[in-house]
Amino acid sequence: MGGLLEGKVAIVTGAAKGIGRAIAEAYAAQGATVVVSDIDEGMAKETASRIPGASAIACDVRSEEQVKSLVDQTVAQHGGLQIMVPNAGIGRPVPLLGMDYEEWRAVTSVNLDGVFLCIRYGAPAIIASGGGAIVNICSITAQAGTPLIAHYSAAKAGVMSLTQTAAVELRAQGVRVNAVLPGFIETEMVTSVKGDFERLLGFPEGQFDQVIAMKQGRYGTAEEVAKMAVFLASDRSSFSNGSPFVLDGGCRASLL
Amino acid sequence: MAELEGKRALVTGGAQGLGKAIATLFVERGAKVMISDIDEAGAKLAADELGESARAVRCDVTQESEHEAAVQATVDAFGGLDIMVNNAGIEVVKPLFHHTEQEFDAIYNINVKGVWFGMKAALAALPQPGGVIVNMASLAGLGGVPLFGAYSMSKAGVVQLTRCAATELKPMGIRINAVCPAFIATAMVDRLKPIVTEIVGVPFDDLAAMKQGRVGTPEEVAEMVAFLASDDSSFCTGGTYVLDGGLQAAML
Repeated sequence: MGGLLEGKVAIVTGAAKGIGRAIAEAYAAQGATVVVSDIDEGMAKETASRIPGASAIACDVRSEEQVKSLVDQTVAQHGGLQIMVPNAGIGRPVPLLGMDYEEWRAVTSVNLDGVFLCIRYGAPAIIASGGGAIVNICSITAQAGTPLIAHYSAAKAGVMSLTQTAAVELRAQGVRVNAVLPGFIETEMVTSVKGDFERLLGFPEGQFDQVIAMKQGRYGTAEEVAKMAVFLASDRSSFSNGSPFVLDGGCRASLL
Repeated sequence: MAELEGKRALVTGGAQGLGKAIATLFVERGAKVMISDIDEAGAKLAADELGESARAVRCDVTQESEHEAAVQATVDAFGGLDIMVNNAGIEVVKPLFHHTEQEFDAIYNINVKGVWFGMKAALAALPQPGGVIVNMASLAGLGGVPLFGAYSMSKAGVVQLTRCAATELKPMGIRINAVCPAFIATAMVDRLKPIVTEIVGVPFDDLAAMKQGRVGTPEEVAEMVAFLASDDSSFCTGGTYVLDGGLQAAML
């Protein structure tokens, strides 16, 4: 039996590692032709080389020119585009009053501006290819105050809003736009900043893991995020548009 | 892909509409399904259509003892219960202060208490960890919908029951999620079309097209339920999953 994404061409940004790589692998396993895009060209190539049918295109999502070129190259190489996954994102803990404007812009330019550019240039290609889906990788930090990552969570809240507007504007042209909102996922991005969170919040060592265990039971896995991204890219979610799809082990369900 | 291979499910309100679509897709994906309904003949008919993998049992969801009997019947038939789908529900469509007390109580008893009883009865049989509950809420549970006052109240109740149950049962490894569809092409929506058209003064289909692009299909709802019932959603619990063609996303 064919995969859920048979015959589709997909771009995943920030796909060299972490959640992006897991999505690229899951899409390929469901039959999609995947373009592994990343700011790190070497790693993108290496990741693509391990995924059947995948190719790599370097892209800094902060650059309008590079995002445009990513879409153009993909269409030229594969004849169209059905799925766009703006996944590239960065984050690091900085106290709000210690955050300079440069730091704010460094994070929001990737996490919010980058998503805008992917939609702005990806959607026309999807429309020209007969319709498809945009799956924005957002975060539950879009929905609640998250200490030390004001820039990250504000950008993610912006991504959720952008998801809604894009869904409404593009609906008539056959493009569905939804957002995946993961809780804390066991990736290098999260594990590398645990110690900083503990230090800045005055937590004893190891308490970050305890908070995660209490709030979401455990860390989620990149593969779990990828399964949601498959569902949202596939026709199985054909009536969902403009909505947040949370996977957080129950974190957001409880006020406590 | 048989993602529900070997799973044993109980679907309330499974004789028709969304419940029947859910039962049908579950069987397609490899599950065994007990169809429960207050309409026992309808449940049997639906089960017969689905063949060997489906059975039927009567269940009035307002009666705790009938939930317990339905769960027991599922365990007896299939050797266990892995997935509970609390789908049975009714609607009342009229201005809020035209609802009768009987209508308000019926909505509460079936749509809210029925789901609470269903979760409670299922708990006795669901594996820990690994058990899954999917509750049928509605987009009306996430926002006010004129003419659906009591219904909206009841579906908000389902959303909150889902969140609280998910939180309390997390340590047991039982996942509970809610599905929130907008208008879907079912007999329920056929019944309410002329009422909405008359009171709002806009043809229902025009209203649906404007707000949600089109009316959704029972099969689309079933796909969402199947995703939440499967191991593919292993990190999802206490969530509300919307299918509304973009209705909620839009300000206008």
